[in-house]
Amino acid sequence: MATSLPPVAVPGQRLGSVATYSAGPGTHVQQSNIYASIAGPVIVDPAQPKTQTKSTLRVSRVIPGANQIGAAPSKTSASTTKSRPRYNTLPAVDSIVLARVTRVQKRQAAVSILVVLDDASAANPDPSKLASDNDNVASILTSAANPENHSNTDELRFQALIRKEDVRAVEKDRVVMDEMFRVGDIVRGSVISLGDQSFYYITTARNDLGVVMARSDAGNMMFPISWKEMRDPVTGAGEQRKVARPF
Amino acid sequence: MMADRRRVNGPPGGTRPAVFASLSGSGTGAAERAQRQRQPSELRKIFLKTGLIPTASGSSYLEFEPSASLAAARANPKSLIPPSSALKLACTVHGPKPLPRSAAFSPNLVLTTHVKYAPFAARKRRGHIRDSTERDLGVHLETALRGAIIAERWPKSGLDITITILEAEDDRWWGDAPDSHDASWGMMNVLAGCITAASAAIADAHIDCLDLVAGGVAALVSDDEKQSSVAPKLMLDTDPAEHRSIVSACVVAYMPGRDEITELWLKGDSSKAALEGGDKRSGHEALVDGAVDAARGAHTVLAEAVRESLLKTVGQV
Amino acid sequence: MATLAATAAPSVTPSLALPPSQFARLQPHTYLLAHLSPPPASNQPSIRANGRAPSQFRVTSANAGSLTHTNGSAVVRVGDTTAVCGVRAEILHTDDIASWSVSSSSATNSNKRRRLANLGEKPTEEDEEDKEDAGFEDEEDRAHMQDLNLLVPNLSLSTGCAPGFTPGAPPSALAQSLSHQILSLLHSTRLVRADDLRIWYQPPNLGPEDLERHNESEQMDVDAGQGAGSEESKPREIKAFWVLYIDVMIISLAGNPFDAAWAAVLAALRDTKIPKAWWDIDNETILCSDDISEASKLSLRGLPIASSFCVFEADAAAGWRAVVIPDAEHQKAQDQRKKGPQQKWILADPDGYEEGLSQERACLVVDKPKNGKGKTVIMKMEKHGGWAVDTEDFRQLIDISGQRWDEMKRILDQC
Repeated sequence: MATSLPPVAVPGQRLGSVATYSAGPGTHVQQSNIYASIAGPVIVDPAQPKTQTKSTLRVSRVIPGANQIGAAPSKTSASTTKSRPRYNTLPAVDSIVLARVTRVQKRQAAVSILVVLDDASAANPDPSKLASDNDNVASILTSAANPENHSNTDELRFQALIRKEDVRAVEKDRVVMDEMFRVGDIVRGSVISLGDQSFYYITTARNDLGVVMARSDAGNMMFPISWKEMRDPVTGAGEQRKVARPF
Repeated sequence: MMADRRRVNGPPGGTRPAVFASLSGSGTGAAERAQRQRQPSELRKIFLKTGLIPTASGSSYLEFEPSASLAAARANPKSLIPPSSALKLACTVHGPKPLPRSAAFSPNLVLTTHVKYAPFAARKRRGHIRDSTERDLGVHLETALRGAIIAERWPKSGLDITITILEAEDDRWWGDAPDSHDASWGMMNVLAGCITAASAAIADAHIDCLDLVAGGVAALVSDDEKQSSVAPKLMLDTDPAEHRSIVSACVVAYMPGRDEITELWLKGDSSKAALEGGDKRSGHEALVDGAVDAARGAHTVLAEAVRESLLKTVGQV
Repeated sequence: MATLAATAAPSVTPSLALPPSQFARLQPHTYLLAHLSPPPASNQPSIRANGRAPSQFRVTSANAGSLTHTNGSAVVRVGDTTAVCGVRAEILHTDDIASWSVSSSSATNSNKRRRLANLGEKPTEEDEEDKEDAGFEDEEDRAHMQDLNLLVPNLSLSTGCAPGFTPGAPPSALAQSLSHQILSLLHSTRLVRADDLRIWYQPPNLGPEDLERHNESEQMDVDAGQGAGSEESKPREIKAFWVLYIDVMIISLAGNPFDAAWAAVLAALRDTKIPKAWWDIDNETILCSDDISEASKLSLRGLPIASSFCVFEADAAAGWRAVVIPDAEHQKAQDQRKKGPQQKWILADPDGYEEGLSQERACLVVDKPKNGKGKTVIMKMEKHGGWAVDTEDFRQLIDISGQRWDEMKRILDQC
């Protein structure tokens, strides 16, 4: 503890010794020293008395509240200790994702992952917290918004499948995919496997998972009325969906 | 050559670059070779800035300081022939993004590098289609970066690194005819710049790296009229336009924190070198050491640029 | 629609408690609509998601002449869109032109000479130019410029400027279309004068005076200084043309590449210097002088400035869904639509996000002759992708483009 830690680090910068700290995300170990592997603020997570003996050093990839346009300045909720260290911003097993349905087939639905929610923010949604570093409004506004207008945008997003048996927990054998999802719906799902080279697998078999935003046949935004139905506020017509429980 | 139907084509019969009449006695001073004003181990200043291209996950822009002669020619323009040129390039990083559907599963980050000269980047107009030089630069750059990136932290995803060279370094002084010593020396400076810029852009994209890898160039040059009599001298960060003849040159990609070289490229004959009295190193050892020293210099600028943009973002909060 | 907008207003946390960044990505259309039509109660002005007013352009800057290996160059930044343009002049010998014959070089020669003499006497003025260009030379100039491909603009997006454009791949459809838009605008505005690109040769008379002149390697070129003196000698002939390779690299693409690219082309052409060139009879080739004081700038025609717009509609599908029966009822519905909450917004200089949400585009290219004192002249007017913009709207757009012209002229004059 003799040397003080720098507030921010750049890749390759020595932060401390493995004798004092354990290495967290954004760092790597080389000859019993911990070095930063990304540029960002250096954060020390205090040791948890029962499980760990050393504090964890990590370099955060999130600069809290930075680059946000149109949102009130964040009341930076100091980084909560996460259940599991995250070394990247990619979808991982148990990540909660928001995805757009791109294809509905008999046995599965294909979706395109739009947002990977942080473990912490998924558990405790705090609007001021960013999901990932390249997910700020400023950068979104510079690039094309509407995937439907750009055929190649989906190639830039991670693709995933919701298999028929992963749609809901009950009455799995009576699932009809057409009554669960429609193309264009926004679905909240949980990643169950990294899958093969092209698809992740996600599940919606939980009460809080499923369709969170959908438009009706008439083109209006619908609101949920039960776990399997949403309604168009203008026409009053109901449509079937696997609905996520609203907060 | 077949007409490229996807581009606007010039006259079908082709065009010729301008030929200047008076190489000597023009009175414009352009016919004099530029002289190196720096000490042998003195590096040119590097301008490096990250995060200028918001549509990319990471980006950087790099410029070498113009040589004394170029700066003078700019300040007081007399001739249309520039005495030398200084590297200017932009680098973007896109990703991590899904691998193409056709690609096999990869547990690591798959790196793709592209280096392209703008048609107006060099003394001779460049084509629109990537040529072998550009492919070569791409391969060298990829090796340099692959050794620095912690690829296993980003499974089944790809990272595209694209560099557009707006102004390249010359291979020799424009008035010299290509000779036996000739090689594309300017390309080595370009590679060093590409490595440093790409490193900054990768840091800007928050991709895990072992260290900021920086590029550096050293060369053995002989500026004497009688080339054979005097052994060539070692110089760092050489501008080929400032020397009569470059005998050998070396570019490295170097990580100072670990004292590791991820890419080394040595060209020419390094057997003879005029080193100081007690120096027992062989020519190529001295050359590699020189390039490493140049890379250390670039690393200082690189670390400063990354830190600066970081502090700026933190400062905004 | 109103209820929808209310729930989605950025200040109100939407039903799912999503941060704005996620909402912007998940429901882009609603996100932008919520900004443009805030709930009446909130007293917020209608403003775009990027914080601009609908007719506001992004901050623009230009910088010319920084690239060493070009005859002219410019960097133009419009917000986060950056275009770099380099102009390279190369020589096209008439010998290399398959269709070129003696007749084509000398047929209109007398006209040419008269005009050159004209030009020599009086500095070019705008009024002069109108008259002068109106006549027969037009056709020849056009033929030279277009048929000989003297202007070669190419735009590249394969620079990593945005995700989705694969570097190393052939030009995308967008890049091809932008290159051709620039080409056709160069031709239709007749920005570059054919005369600036011609390299003349005056064959010597066998008189002693001319021989002497030749020995002193007196050169013939476009500046017809001695045009009057050589009136009696053999007709001048065109030996070569300058070809301008105009390459635009879009370094950063954040919407509206055309305005930035065109501004960069314009600024680079204004920066372009053409070396003095002559036919060297001994070497049978064209030689140039590297002396910068002998080089000449291009004398461009006017300053056409491009302004692009996109149309964002509250319900883009409405027009397509409506059953069009030409009767009164339909008219009434139309009127009602107009009275109701605003249905469409014409957004100047759209960013990438807005472009992705709009089908309809409009582009205006205007000039103001006499250095901005004249009336706004429309050089190009284009609209496609929908029917929301009507004549009345276009009148407004012309005003906005006129204001943009003033702003761009100030920026380009400073660079």
